[in-house]
Amino acid sequence: MKLLEVRNLKKTYTTRFGGSQVQALRNVSFTVDSGEFIAIMGESGSGKTTLLNIIAALDRPTSGEVLLNGRNIHSIKESEVAAFRRDNLGFVFQDFNLLDNFSIQDNIFLPLVLARKPYKEMHERLQPIAHMLGISHILSKFPYEVSGGEKQRAAVARALITNPKIILADEPTGALDSRASDNLLKLFSDINRLGQTVLMVTHSTKAASNASRVLFIKDGEIFHQLHKGASSNEEQYQKIADTLTMIATGGIRHE
Amino acid sequence: MSKFFYARLAINNIRRNAQTYVPYIVTAIGVIMMFVIIGMMTNNTQLLKLRGGTTLRTILFFGTIVVGIFSLIFLFYTNSFLVKRRKKEFGLMNILGMDKRHLARVMFLETLIVAVISITLGILSGVLLSKLMFLVLLKILNFEVQLGFEFDAYFTLFTAMLFAGIFFLSLLNNLRQVQLANPIELVKGGQVGEREPKTNWPAFLLGQITLGSGYYIALTMENPITTIPAFFGAVVLVIIGTYCLFTAGSIWFLQLLRKNKKFYYHPQHFPNISGMIYRMKQNAVGLANICILSTMVLVMLSTTLSLYIGMEDVLRTRYRRNFELTASDIDSVAVQRIRDAVDSVLAKRGKAPQDIISYRYLALTAKQEGSSFATRKNDLDMFSTALKYVYFVPVEDYNALTNRSVVLEDNEALICSAREAYDYDSLSILGRTFTIKEKVDSFQGDGSSLVFLYSSYYVVVKDMDTVQEMYHKYTAENELYRPTISYYFGFDVDANRSESLAIHDDLVASAKQAIAGSGYVVVESAENARDDFYSLYGGLFFLGIFLGVLFIGATVLIIYYKQITEGFEDKHRFEIMQKVGMSRLEVKKTIKDQVLMVFFLPLIAAIIHIAFAFKPITKMLALFNLTNIALFIWCTLGVILVFGLFYAVVYVLTARVYYQIVSAKE
Repeated sequence: MKLLEVRNLKKTYTTRFGGSQVQALRNVSFTVDSGEFIAIMGESGSGKTTLLNIIAALDRPTSGEVLLNGRNIHSIKESEVAAFRRDNLGFVFQDFNLLDNFSIQDNIFLPLVLARKPYKEMHERLQPIAHMLGISHILSKFPYEVSGGEKQRAAVARALITNPKIILADEPTGALDSRASDNLLKLFSDINRLGQTVLMVTHSTKAASNASRVLFIKDGEIFHQLHKGASSNEEQYQKIADTLTMIATGGIRHE
Repeated sequence: MSKFFYARLAINNIRRNAQTYVPYIVTAIGVIMMFVIIGMMTNNTQLLKLRGGTTLRTILFFGTIVVGIFSLIFLFYTNSFLVKRRKKEFGLMNILGMDKRHLARVMFLETLIVAVISITLGILSGVLLSKLMFLVLLKILNFEVQLGFEFDAYFTLFTAMLFAGIFFLSLLNNLRQVQLANPIELVKGGQVGEREPKTNWPAFLLGQITLGSGYYIALTMENPITTIPAFFGAVVLVIIGTYCLFTAGSIWFLQLLRKNKKFYYHPQHFPNISGMIYRMKQNAVGLANICILSTMVLVMLSTTLSLYIGMEDVLRTRYRRNFELTASDIDSVAVQRIRDAVDSVLAKRGKAPQDIISYRYLALTAKQEGSSFATRKNDLDMFSTALKYVYFVPVEDYNALTNRSVVLEDNEALICSAREAYDYDSLSILGRTFTIKEKVDSFQGDGSSLVFLYSSYYVVVKDMDTVQEMYHKYTAENELYRPTISYYFGFDVDANRSESLAIHDDLVASAKQAIAGSGYVVVESAENARDDFYSLYGGLFFLGIFLGVLFIGATVLIIYYKQITEGFEDKHRFEIMQKVGMSRLEVKKTIKDQVLMVFFLPLIAAIIHIAFAFKPITKMLALFNLTNIALFIWCTLGVILVFGLFYAVVYVLTARVYYQIVSAKE
């Protein structure tokens, strides 16, 4: 079932004094089915983050559209877009984006508080998630008191607690050491197996090898994609590495 | 070339940091201007030519010192905000290869530019406005004098040196901060993960105790003499309490709110309560400062305003009649001569005395213990609240004054009390005991008794012989305090101001002649005193407004700086919240609430302070003969309203700038 559809997305930035124009996205189209785990790969400056921001409704495209469950998210009124984002999308960021002055628990509650959910419901929703992510024991601590891996798991909990249709992750392993990265990626695979759709932007080959499908983006266009199929993580890792080498050395596209 | 580079860098730095530098320069110009204005007014040679000019000069000189000290503290304080904001920038320059000596050079040039601009513009606007302010002062004082423009080169130079010194000191302080830090620390600035503050229980308890006892003293204060030291004690207690409660109490209260899950987990309260807990750690002292400053402004303005407005009332309380003569140690022949002299002075101008009051009295000091009054020297402790003025008046004079025909026996008396009621049926003094035959409500007596700190009683006795007897007995007991038997003669005359002043001068001359060396005579008139009153109360009022404006400006700037500094820190937090699903509208609302709390918490605390200070202030105003409490209430309310309006405008502006900072795109 088609959950997210991205059609002919273009994004052009104009420099401040109207001089030159920069094309961040030329023509991007792809679809995400419900329950998929997608990784988007590309070098710095290839337009990954722009794409993610547009899908997250944090930025508007110059042309093209993004449909979530068939609804164009950029036609949503400005006053409703925050609520839309809150109810439908979960975010995981590279630098965690936890608030220093909130305890881990309050950080996780933040989107629910903004949605005016009663405390009892928040509390009930938190328990299974915290248990699954293994953060039950640090809920009352503050972000500066816990490790990077724990912070990122708290951020995942914050993304999951609203039961979003899709989780958008921007370089989630970027600030973690390899062990914490492995744990987090396993976590993503686990929640994906439970039916959660995940869209992850990364330039870690290892991270991408966990995904069910990898999209490669280069110079603002989808250059290539790899389905994992029945491959193991290691086999997929090799395929991704080959593709990246090919892109970097300027090879031609093949499917 | 190199020199040029540094200068350009310095100018660019100031330009780039305009959001914080412009208010700083404006502050400096404002402060210097205020200093120049009040200093030039103090030194104005024309001032001494005015009636009451010396009083005025003293008041203004006091004001100059206050403004000077205030400038030092305030410029230092605002400067510290600037440095905090720019630490990152300095660290970056350091990393990019400027060593600390070069950095010092850039900072020196920046300070030089700011100092030159502020001192030049400050002095220039100060000199120009001092003339205007002088005219405002004269208007307040009711003087109609045209004064020429005066430029005091010596004072100008002094001002320039003083403020150059202050700027130099703040430069040293900035350099010290940069020298001490390593680049990494500088780049990180203040962004180190801070621990959540806990309630400081000892401070919280101390705050409750000091504030409580301060308020208690204020509420239970009865006697005007003991009021002054007790009032200052209470002020100190309240100040300590304010600091403690702002630092410890606020965190306690916020944590209490956080424990209430239903209240806490609400979109508007959620970010603010947590934010405020952290904010309070850094800003509680600043907010307490603002609170105390606001209280001072409000008290100063409301009291001086009501004294100024109530001046005519006060004049009438003090002078029951437009003209008053008090002659002491004279015989009845001299009394008649004085009355003749008054008649002839008035007759010369075709006027006659009206509403005459005249009576003889003996005034003495005694210490009250219940119904008996001690008069020995050793009993008369100056600061005792039991000390009273006792006036003996013969009943014939009383009857003449009040159109009554009271007859008193040898040991009978009437009593009339000013300020404090007399609760006893008899009165013992100097070996005599008088039975109080009647307590009379009003006595058209001499208003001068109201000037004194002590309460007074008028005791009406059988005849002049009794009065004489009291006089001799008191003199025998007491060498130090000599009592006097005086003759009071007061009357109104239908005359305008200039006539009144001329009559006053004539009366002084002819009354002196009339008593011809025996005893002495004092001539007073409301019209003549009005100038003195105006220069005292008007001068205080002017100073109240002047310092009030200065302090309000300071309060506003402190808050502005605080909000701006915090805006930069909060930017990141609001970005995260927006990503997680907070709408721009909610961001705006949250900011409004937060700024509102920061703004109005000190003001509300200040208003509560004033409510508690109300009683002692009215008592102290009574010492200035201002007993019109309704007037004082209205003045206080008016001042609070104006102050609040001013405050609200700045609040709206600050909230807007804060929102712009927080919502600005990278």
